[in-house]
Amino acid sequence: MAHMEAFLAATGLTKSFDSVQVVDSVSFTVRSQEIFGLLGPNGAGKTTTIRMLSTVLDPDDGDVNIGGHSVAKESDAVRRLIGVCPQELALYPELSATDNLVFFGRMAGLSGSQAKESAADVLERVGLTDRAKDAVRKYSGGMKRRVNIAIALMSRPQMLFLDEPTVGIDPQSRNHIFDTVLALRDEGMTVLYTTHYMEEADRLCDRIGIMDEGHIIALGTPAELKAQVGDADTTTLEEVFLSLTGRSLRD
Amino acid sequence: MVRPLLLALFEVKRFLADRGALAFSIALPILLFALMVGVFGGETSFNSTAHVADLDGGDAARKLIERIEDVDGLDVRRYTEAELNDALDRSAVLTGFVIPAGFTTALESGMPTTVRVKRRGNGGDAGQITAAIVQGVADGLASEYELRRALGTLVSDAIPPEQVEAHTGVLLGDARRDPPVRVVNQTLNEESEEEDILDRLLPGVIVMFLLFSVTLNAQTLIEERRNGTLERLLTTQLSTGQLFAGKFLAGVSRGMLQTIILLVLAFVVLRIAGLNALAQSAVLALVVSAAASAIALLIATVARTEDQATWGAVFITMFMTVFGGTFFPIGDSGVLELLSRFTLNRYAIDAYEGILGETATLGDATFEMALLGGVAVVCLIVARVLFRVSSEAK
Repeated sequence: MAHMEAFLAATGLTKSFDSVQVVDSVSFTVRSQEIFGLLGPNGAGKTTTIRMLSTVLDPDDGDVNIGGHSVAKESDAVRRLIGVCPQELALYPELSATDNLVFFGRMAGLSGSQAKESAADVLERVGLTDRAKDAVRKYSGGMKRRVNIAIALMSRPQMLFLDEPTVGIDPQSRNHIFDTVLALRDEGMTVLYTTHYMEEADRLCDRIGIMDEGHIIALGTPAELKAQVGDADTTTLEEVFLSLTGRSLRD
Repeated sequence: MVRPLLLALFEVKRFLADRGALAFSIALPILLFALMVGVFGGETSFNSTAHVADLDGGDAARKLIERIEDVDGLDVRRYTEAELNDALDRSAVLTGFVIPAGFTTALESGMPTTVRVKRRGNGGDAGQITAAIVQGVADGLASEYELRRALGTLVSDAIPPEQVEAHTGVLLGDARRDPPVRVVNQTLNEESEEEDILDRLLPGVIVMFLLFSVTLNAQTLIEERRNGTLERLLTTQLSTGQLFAGKFLAGVSRGMLQTIILLVLAFVVLRIAGLNALAQSAVLALVVSAAASAIALLIATVARTEDQATWGAVFITMFMTVFGGTFFPIGDSGVLELLSRFTLNRYAIDAYEGILGETATLGDATFEMALLGGVAVVCLIVARVLFRVSSEAK
């Protein structure tokens, strides 16, 4: 279960692109061993926030502390603690799943034998051992998504960033990913999860932060958020989301 | 330093797993060069058939036919006289040879004899050449018979004729196998300053396809930027500098691999140069590949889309190929010479040409190597300053 102490603490994160404020003074914490959901409509600033949290982007202002290390000042130390599964299928399709995993494992600092061992472990975890040697381009969409997640697990991180990991896949693969994420949390991993599927967030997340226009506009457990809008037992998370972010189109 | 090397090795693995890239980078240049060899540099050997009617059937006639068959590029087809006449009448044969009855007896007794050459018209080019060859072979055979006969007459009182025959037979056989006067073919341009077109075509094809691979490298990098693998790598222990170095080394490795394969093939198949020249060419290939890889990185860094990278790389490649003297000599002055100074091809081809033609060494190519290395360094510095893994990432 989630502990009360924060594993990740973002303070005053701010980022602009070409004078457009994409993330504006965002502060929140993710507790150790919890699944924290970051929800928001398109363009809310979720992915930019994750990119700052995962050391890819420098914030214009603010900082993040992960596992006791500042992202701004100790990005190498932070990178040893985190695994990142981006929204895109960031894979090399002409190579096998094992080749992809071993390569990213080596880049994450594992030795050759450690990388091979870890690749076998994570492939078993995501249910792809039988297809380990096949070129990734021959995989279904769901299988590719699972490899995308497996890469993030290669260095056995303490914190996992999952940016919309279930986009465009069938219910079977989605359920497999849910089970994997819950198992990882139960084994002690801290997870930051973004999604557009509200029932997914409701089912998985211990706490949820809702972002809109670069701000965190609500934060709490799913039940707490529902209670803000109506009856916690009958209100859905989607109703909460629409109530807080409005019904106007964002794309 | 280990991670950039690992990254480069991984990129080579990707290259080898990509059949399209392999076909483009290796199979196509081999095909093109084979076509060029076929068109411009094929071996010009003579092949023909001597159409012979042996009316003698004796030992000398048999030897004459055997020795004609031994001539490189010449086969013998046997006829009766009637068959030969018929073939000549039908123009199926333009030149035929008739060994008359009594040929052997005449040679053994020192009497004059003939080999009749029957022609249809002028006998055709091949027939005329074959007739000249047959004349030479017959002259040699007649000389041998004359020598044997004269020697036998001269020493007949002191040495038994069988012994004379045996010794002269051995000596004449040796002389035929290892003649005291040899006619040796010598290709004119090996000793002169005349240029062998293949010596320029091979470097031209190698450099051209190395530059084509610039397009592939630039596209690949843009694609990686788009699909997020570059950015993902930055969440590992890899720094931006290591990522940049790894991508540069990957381009160099691929260029080297491509060039070495083509050079080794040319060495094995065409014997185009010696081992020493091959080794020196490999060193030169390293510098040329470094320049090409740096240009690819620069294009990929400046371009925002795959289309921009493709067209940028195609323009640069075509400019350098056309104006760099890939297919024709540049000359010493004029607009072409001026434009060629702005191409990698000119310097790379000049250096390869000297080394592969074994008229120069790496030491003689110091200027070209320094210039290519300079291009690599300048492009790398500019590309490193501008390098980014995504449109916004640090």
